[in-house]
Amino acid sequence: MHAAIYGRVFSNLLAFRKALPRRTEIILGALGFVLFLSVWHIFAASGTIRPEFLPKPISVAQAFVRLFTERDFATDIVISVGRVWFAFFLSVIVAIPLGLIMSTYRSVGAVLEPFIDFIRYLPVPALVPLLVIWFGVGEASKIAVLWTGTFFQLILLVADDTKRVPVEYIESGHTLGATNGQIMRHIIIPAALPSMVDNLRITLGWCWTYLIVAEIVAANSGIGHVIWSLRRFVKTPEVMAGIVAIGIIGLLTDQAFRYAHARLFSYLRR
Amino acid sequence: MDNFIEISDITKTYWSDDGKTETKVILPLSMAIAEGEMVMFLGPSGCGKTTLMRIVGGLETQDQGSIRLRGELLAGPDRRRGMVFQSYSSFPWLTVRNNIKFGTRYRTDISRQEKEEITDHYMNMVGLVRYGDFYTNRISGGMRQRVAIARTLASSPDVLLMDEPFGALDAQTREHLQFQLMDINKSEKKTTIFVTHDVEEAILLANRIIIFSSRPARVVKEIDVDAVISAEDRRNGTADVAAFMTMRGDILTLIRAEYAHNLEET
Repeated sequence: MHAAIYGRVFSNLLAFRKALPRRTEIILGALGFVLFLSVWHIFAASGTIRPEFLPKPISVAQAFVRLFTERDFATDIVISVGRVWFAFFLSVIVAIPLGLIMSTYRSVGAVLEPFIDFIRYLPVPALVPLLVIWFGVGEASKIAVLWTGTFFQLILLVADDTKRVPVEYIESGHTLGATNGQIMRHIIIPAALPSMVDNLRITLGWCWTYLIVAEIVAANSGIGHVIWSLRRFVKTPEVMAGIVAIGIIGLLTDQAFRYAHARLFSYLRR
Repeated sequence: MDNFIEISDITKTYWSDDGKTETKVILPLSMAIAEGEMVMFLGPSGCGKTTLMRIVGGLETQDQGSIRLRGELLAGPDRRRGMVFQSYSSFPWLTVRNNIKFGTRYRTDISRQEKEEITDHYMNMVGLVRYGDFYTNRISGGMRQRVAIARTLASSPDVLLMDEPFGALDAQTREHLQFQLMDINKSEKKTTIFVTHDVEEAILLANRIIIFSSRPARVVKEIDVDAVISAEDRRNGTADVAAFMTMRGDILTLIRAEYAHNLEET
């Protein structure tokens, strides 16, 4: 009897390309974290790795609390979130119109695409010295690092999203009497918007990955600065707690985007 | 016959990407279509019938020749020639009602109130009143094509261009939509060019069938279907079966010959 039930549960979980109930997905997601923390704990508690290199998860959790109680970590978080969102906003307001134009007018795409591809493959950390020379050691260079890390990726993604709008939609627009501008506003943008929002979510994640790079140069605030300065004193639990903080913010932002996507584009559900 | 649409000496050649190989799709080709007529373009696959229809719709440019509508030279697409595609072209971000209403969006000849009335009229005509608030990816393929037809009609084109609109549908839905199109054609009297591979569909719906040769397209034969089987009989299912089958057989023989000729050439 039990064997049959377990067998059914197991086959449901491993059903080929089948959706799972939302609750099951949440439980499995939480299980992934529990599994990761357990393996981490077992390794750390075994003593094979020294705690300066791998503290126990509980030590990281305690350090996480200490960051808030002994340092003004909440302010650092606000500063970092502000930097990431500001840089991301600047990327979006330039990348979306430019991406739309690139995919609509082939000549613009032909001029910009090779150049953007070239910049896109340059490692952002390698550009930091140059950006500091150009923008100084203040906020501008930090925003520039984050912007550089996201803008050149986002513009190509937006151009791709727009290119994928079915030609029949555009031709329908023409034969229904729409002008090019109306086709752009009333057909291309709504058609490309769901994948665009999805790509915004992904590039915002990339923006967070460049935060440490942006905040290690002459910074005196932000999560990256906290992590980098505590590294000097080998405060590994605090360093890891800082990393965990970025992970939590990233996860929450990602979930917020997913929720908004599901609400805004509910028509995509079958 | 009055020349509502005049297709004069149209030619079209496609070139390979490296620009070295040319494929002549349409040789100098002329024809005239009367107002209110439903003309079916029939021919072997790849013969150029869709290309010709897209040229009429302004979605492709001919190398030479001209298209005139009511004597006026046409260039580029506009609202006078509405197109229904084979693939589903209804907009997924709009409901059924808003998709149909989209057809009236760029009409400046009517008021907002009239746009609502026209939307209601066509929703009713294609039998989708119950599904007005549904998004189009929650309705069947046949319903989506009905949305596309209603949207195009709502834009009030002078000419309806239909590129194998029922090609992707199952047999029953296809038959249902064919009869629905016959009803629409009866009430709207819309000049229609309809591209199809389906001989029976062509005989059922057409006033006139134009059979094209294999590529490059030239007219092999024109059949005045109305002269052999009345539209009324076809609509009512009272057509002479022998006449229907004879016409079907003649057309198939012609198309098979063209197809075989095409195979020999390649």
